Amino acid sequence: MRTIHTEILVIGGGATGTGVAWDAALRGFRTVLVEKRDLTHGTTGRYHGLLHSGGRYAVKDPQSARECIHENRVLRRTHTHCIEDTGGFFVVTPEDADSDYPDRFQQACREVGIPCVEIPVAEALRREPLLHPRIARVFQVPDAAADSFLATHATAQAARQEGAEIRIYHEVTRLLVEGGEGDRRVVGAQVQDLVRGEPVRILADMTINAAGAWAGQVARLAGIQVSIIPGKGVMLAASHRLVNTVINRCKMPSDGDIIVPIHTVAVIGTTDVKVADPEHLAIEPWEVRYMLEEADKLVPGFSRTRILRAWAGVRPLYQENAQGMESRDVTRALALLDHRERDGVAGFLTITGGKWTTFRLMAEKTLDRACAHLGVERPCRTAEIPVPGREQGPYWLGHRLHEVETAQLQGELVCECELVTRDMLVQAARFNPTVTLDDLRRDVRLGMGPCQGGFCTYRAVGILHELANEPPEAPTGDAQAWEVAHLQSPRQAARTPTPDKRSPSSAPRPRPSPVLERTHPMANPNLLLRDFLQERWKGVLPILWGQQLKQERLDQLLYLSLMNVDHLPDPELVSPMSDFYTRIPTAETEG
Amino acid sequence: MGTPAAGSPGRIPDLLVIGAGLAGLMAAQTGADAGLSVRVVAKGMGATHWAAGTVDVLGYLPTDDTPVHHPLEAVERLPEDHPYRRVGGAPRVARGLARFQELTQALKLPYVAREDGQNWWLPSPAGAPRPAYLAPQAQARGDLERKEPLLIVGFAGLRDFYPRLIAENLARQGIQARAASLPLNLLTPRRDVNTVQLARTLDRPDPVERLGRELRALARPGERIGLPAILGLERHLWTWHRLEAITEAPVFEIPTLPPSVPGIRLFQAWQRHLLAQGVRVEMGMAAIGFQAAGDRILWVETESAARPLRHRAGRFVLATGGILGGGIAAGPDGPAREVVFGLPLAVPTERRHWFRPRFLDPAGHPLFQGGVAVDPALRPVDPRTGQTIYTNLHAAGEILAGTDSIRERSLEGIALATGAAILPAAASP
Repeated sequence: MRTIHTEILVIGGGATGTGVAWDAALRGFRTVLVEKRDLTHGTTGRYHGLLHSGGRYAVKDPQSARECIHENRVLRRTHTHCIEDTGGFFVVTPEDADSDYPDRFQQACREVGIPCVEIPVAEALRREPLLHPRIARVFQVPDAAADSFLATHATAQAARQEGAEIRIYHEVTRLLVEGGEGDRRVVGAQVQDLVRGEPVRILADMTINAAGAWAGQVARLAGIQVSIIPGKGVMLAASHRLVNTVINRCKMPSDGDIIVPIHTVAVIGTTDVKVADPEHLAIEPWEVRYMLEEADKLVPGFSRTRILRAWAGVRPLYQENAQGMESRDVTRALALLDHRERDGVAGFLTITGGKWTTFRLMAEKTLDRACAHLGVERPCRTAEIPVPGREQGPYWLGHRLHEVETAQLQGELVCECELVTRDMLVQAARFNPTVTLDDLRRDVRLGMGPCQGGFCTYRAVGILHELANEPPEAPTGDAQAWEVAHLQSPRQAARTPTPDKRSPSSAPRPRPSPVLERTHPMANPNLLLRDFLQERWKGVLPILWGQQLKQERLDQLLYLSLMNVDHLPDPELVSPMSDFYTRIPTAETEG
Repeated sequence: MGTPAAGSPGRIPDLLVIGAGLAGLMAAQTGADAGLSVRVVAKGMGATHWAAGTVDVLGYLPTDDTPVHHPLEAVERLPEDHPYRRVGGAPRVARGLARFQELTQALKLPYVAREDGQNWWLPSPAGAPRPAYLAPQAQARGDLERKEPLLIVGFAGLRDFYPRLIAENLARQGIQARAASLPLNLLTPRRDVNTVQLARTLDRPDPVERLGRELRALARPGERIGLPAILGLERHLWTWHRLEAITEAPVFEIPTLPPSVPGIRLFQAWQRHLLAQGVRVEMGMAAIGFQAAGDRILWVETESAARPLRHRAGRFVLATGGILGGGIAAGPDGPAREVVFGLPLAVPTERRHWFRPRFLDPAGHPLFQGGVAVDPALRPVDPRTGQTIYTNLHAAGEILAGTDSIRERSLEGIALATGAAILPAAASP
């Protein structure tokens, strides 16, 4: 078995894990990160995209609120291009008009240090004409919309530029534990490379469990009990931006009380239901109905717009002795578990709880503790050093359209819904490790618009098939600097990658993505097609009515009647993700 | 009856057809053939503009996905409520198809069947053989049972056609095929083009000559040349014949992502043909209401830019399509409904029974199998009692219950067979 030696091993490729890898690499540790699927495949890629101001937790969970407003300010500096400064409103709807919550909210924001200004209702309605016309009060806070896919990629690239190694589709199968009772120590992990189907041993001085909702499962591999309460949240995306400001209901945090405008859509969220297994997330009809009813209280008519998709994410909520608590009541504050102190197992930390907004802080605290364990003093620098791509400036809604129009790339569009060009797709596939089209979706937003892959699935498969058959062309310039910083920029993708002067020369040479290897799942176009069609179907199933139902029928016409894709060669081939896409849990089969 | 005067002001037509897909056009044609005065109102185009442009009659058995080679022979093995069985089985289906074929001769877009009555197996844009019963001549030339090797030619930068994907998949199924690519600027200086624009370009002689010369240089002796279906819009036969003459090789079309050039050719030619017979096909007129007296429909109301219009007629044909065409709709809460007459539907009432977990499930999705149940005269019935609802209302095409036509590859076959069966057998010539 191949063995890799490193100082820090990070388990989990979500926001927290990549944040930990970035922090560790910046502090000069040799670092390896393993993720069992694609980066952001877990909770990070399944949330509504809110950069919290902290307002939501000001009354109920001031500690969490303080963390949020602090990190809100930091991330606007370090991850500028991943954030759209939408601002946020907390609105008092007619249902909540008699409550004393708004006054408590204002007071709590003051105490925690969240800038919160009450603005006239007329002003709010002028800015957001679709808001409920009978709202009583409106408070403005510095909420924002965050692209968690891009931010995680940018963080991962920052880590790579500092020498960290990021391995996706590497699943931890064992934690390597040495020593006897009372003197045990985690010395690394055995992981399975799911694409090549081979085991790899990674030996590390410190193993950091950043597996989020899966952290309990990872800790169990060392015989340690960590009770994560997986809190499932269901979200729905409306086909366009009904609002351009984050809209929160000004009341105690509850279900369906937030609408986030993110990229081209508006997302309503969420429910909060304790589930047994973070892998089996049933989206139940009552959840869909309830989200729509609640959305109408903020933006009347939301339920009658075209709903593109439903998805569920699972919060990694943690509280010691949380037996019997409702997940809505568990703190959103971060939880760092030092297993040497807690369980007598050295060389092993678990970081969980928290929010996307606080991922950097979580990493900082984790590495502070790791340094203490390793007996070194190295300060955290992630709050000062921006990630690559920041020079693009803040994200704005018209960003892609503007670039497509000024560079006249209309003829290059593979996905008209989300303005994905051929070059964006090719760059992402070539320089960002890719196993399925869903991985590319997270990179460039392929198939995320109204047709949900109807047209772009076939085009992407055709293009990638051509790419896989071309001789691997030596990438010019610093592809490592290129790959994610400009992943979502049509204009940049149309240019030949140029050397990035800020990138240290020690950065590893670009490795062509496995897309070019014939044995790779990506090399089989028919598997790519089937996987992505099924993956998209999974997310539209709960919301198939009206226009979206019609759209799905068109997609059936295209893929069955026109293309006959269910009678292509290799029907038996599966990718590491095929089973996940096909498994559609229902309330009955769950947990 | 002499020259029909449908559409002339003040005259109530014998037949009002709602919907302008293949079912609606065939119903209108059948009415016109029988000497009736006919008018067609439609919200928009039908699936002609989306589909491959072939007539798929039955490609796979709905029960177990078995490939069907003799579609007409397989009709009797279909369930009794299948639209083919409802209209009277294989002979009636064959008659509808024969009328269509004869018509396409007149339209100068001949559709051809195999001499042995079997399905063609033609290359799909993904490289799977797709079963079609009738095909435009230029698609039939791609018959995968013939032995000549295939050269699939695309255009670099055309986002809706991938020759390498097609050739590799065909080759892996034992069909000798290779791919080649030509620059798009051979045809047009534009980068942002779709298949319809390219087809218009190939209505002109110069681009056809240029393309022909390039193809001639590419093709090896004995090869058939497959191109995306862009060989002319208005002068298709001329373009196609000219390319075969220049290349001295068989040339065939492979359908593409929408818009469908073969479908648009057919629609436009047929619409002109109907107009010449006095049948107006009017678009932008969504049927939104109706008035009945007892068991007869009196008029149908359509929405239009100015004001709603009422259309009286002796008979009405509902050919609004299924879920794709908008004839059947479903909201987040309510059950699926038929949108014009509120006809009861043979569809599972509960949403949780509508779909299966796999997009490509060979058994299909129950919602798509549902629709309007009809009596043997294609008049809608109450699915619970079997009672005919209106005596002068017929339904045709994808709106009918009894099968998922996209799943079994019978979309056009059902449209034509049922569209041709809206009049009693005796009334048809």
